[in-house]
Amino acid sequence: MRETPSTIELRIRRQDGPDTPPYWETFVLPHAPDHNVVSVLMALREHPLTHDGRRVDPVCWDHNCMEEVCGSCAMLINGVPRPACSALIDQLEQPIVLEPLPKFPVVRDLLVDRSAIDAGLRKVHAWIEIDGAWDTHEPPPRIAPQQWAADYLYSRCMSCGCCMAACPQFGAGADFVGPAPLAQVRLMNAHPTGRHDKTERLHAIMAEGGLSDCGNAQNCVRVCPKAIPLTTAIGELGRQTTIQALKDLFGSS
Amino acid sequence: MPTTGRTMTASIGNRHFVLRRLHSLLGLLPVGAFLIFHLWENSQSRFGAEHYNREVVEALQGLNYLVPIELLVIALPLLLHAVIGLAITREMRAEPIRYRYARNWAYWLQRLSGVVILLFLLLHVGMTRIQGLWTPAIRDDLYGYMQTLLSNPGFFALYLVGLLASVFHLANGLSTMAIVWGLTTSAAAQRRFAWACAGFGVLLAALGVHGMLGFLS
Ligand code: HEM
Ligand code: SF4
Ligand code: SF4
Ligand code: FES
Repeated sequence: MRETPSTIELRIRRQDGPDTPPYWETFVLPHAPDHNVVSVLMALREHPLTHDGRRVDPVCWDHNCMEEVCGSCAMLINGVPRPACSALIDQLEQPIVLEPLPKFPVVRDLLVDRSAIDAGLRKVHAWIEIDGAWDTHEPPPRIAPQQWAADYLYSRCMSCGCCMAACPQFGAGADFVGPAPLAQVRLMNAHPTGRHDKTERLHAIMAEGGLSDCGNAQNCVRVCPKAIPLTTAIGELGRQTTIQALKDLFGSS
Repeated sequence: MPTTGRTMTASIGNRHFVLRRLHSLLGLLPVGAFLIFHLWENSQSRFGAEHYNREVVEALQGLNYLVPIELLVIALPLLLHAVIGLAITREMRAEPIRYRYARNWAYWLQRLSGVVILLFLLLHVGMTRIQGLWTPAIRDDLYGYMQTLLSNPGFFALYLVGLLASVFHLANGLSTMAIVWGLTTSAAAQRRFAWACAGFGVLLAALGVHGMLGFLS
């Protein structure tokens, strides 16, 4: 067991606004058991004093569920993109270095604008067209338990953006939609109702910024806190787009 | 089909998709296939100057339609692959130090080796095939020419780097190609195939080094 330190030292990369230069500040707080990065930031908000006693604006960040399901608290913790609420202080090397999630525009301090993920989800048609408000005379769709188990893995994505932050092909100035939207294409294409729009989704990811922009670095799958098999999705979509291209070239079925 | 939001749409009519798949395919056929042939061809150096110059080099130089074959099957595909490859390399934001995963390193080395190969090939092709156009001595005794060249430790090192970069690039390229086209989907399959490609790479590198040493025997 590592010796429990009596304090918690934070080094935080701060930024007052989207266009202002970043700067670093160090904070030292009393240690308390069971702290995670979000709860430490909450404690800091009560007394925003730097280690040399200056009173500063409280650090701005995002959080919501506190149980790693909403994805809003993702940031760079000791250099690794991960949700702050599940980053336990006693398991982190001190000083704990906090930086905003890279690749996304900074709003303020550790708060970033992750709307690029939503834009990606829209681009790839990552939703299911429900049937109309009329009776389809069809029984509810049935899914085999094996398929359900495989699909469930992808349904846990919380759009935290960690995979996108770690992806060397994703970022400002590049078109690539990134791994998270691609994984949702894999999920929606397998759904009994969603599969009716499979061709449309495949055509979406065959455009600029789609699947072809993945360079198979596979960082995404290493950092995903929900252990979503992103690279399996990318391989499966490789197969689906190959078949789709053959259908488009030679005629379908 | 009612759709809300801005959905992208493309397929075989899309230049981007077609060029990327073409780039992927060209890496194996014909460029990768030529690399394998080329290393096999030069491993014949082991059988001595007479055999190499007469049975290997002269036989190839005597092929009908040699120049169109060289241009259409080797130079043009390689050039296309290299141009698209450079465009892809420009998109890279690799962070090999932050993310020290093997695949991330392979991603980075794939791009780095591409650039190394390009520079090496300019020199290599320039000093052999191009210079040979107006220097009959090179064509007539390629064995002796290569022997002199590789006896220089600097050139030997340069050729070794060029060889290993090419072999790594092909072997790693095969393993990513399998993901791009959807041959391997599960993580286990991707891992198994990566090992198979690594094994292939070691064999090919051994063949290449064997050929280089053949000029010095
Ligand atoms: C001996 C010559 C070469 C061979 C045998 C070769 C072979 C390959 C193969 C098989 C791939 C895999 C394609 C895929 O993942 O879909 C590949 C990828 C690549 N090649 Fe080459 N290549 C050669 C030269 C070059 C050159 C000169 C460049 C550019 C400077 C280059 C740049 C690239 C890049 C950037 C990739 C990665 C593509 C991606 O991940 O999307 N290659 N190459
Ligand atoms: S795939 Fe994983 S890392 Fe990426 S957004 Fe979803 S939960 Fe986060
Ligand atoms: S495998 Fe593709 S999507 Fe995942 S990190 Fe690498 S380039 Fe990005
Ligand atoms: S607060 Fe919801 S994931 Fe951390």
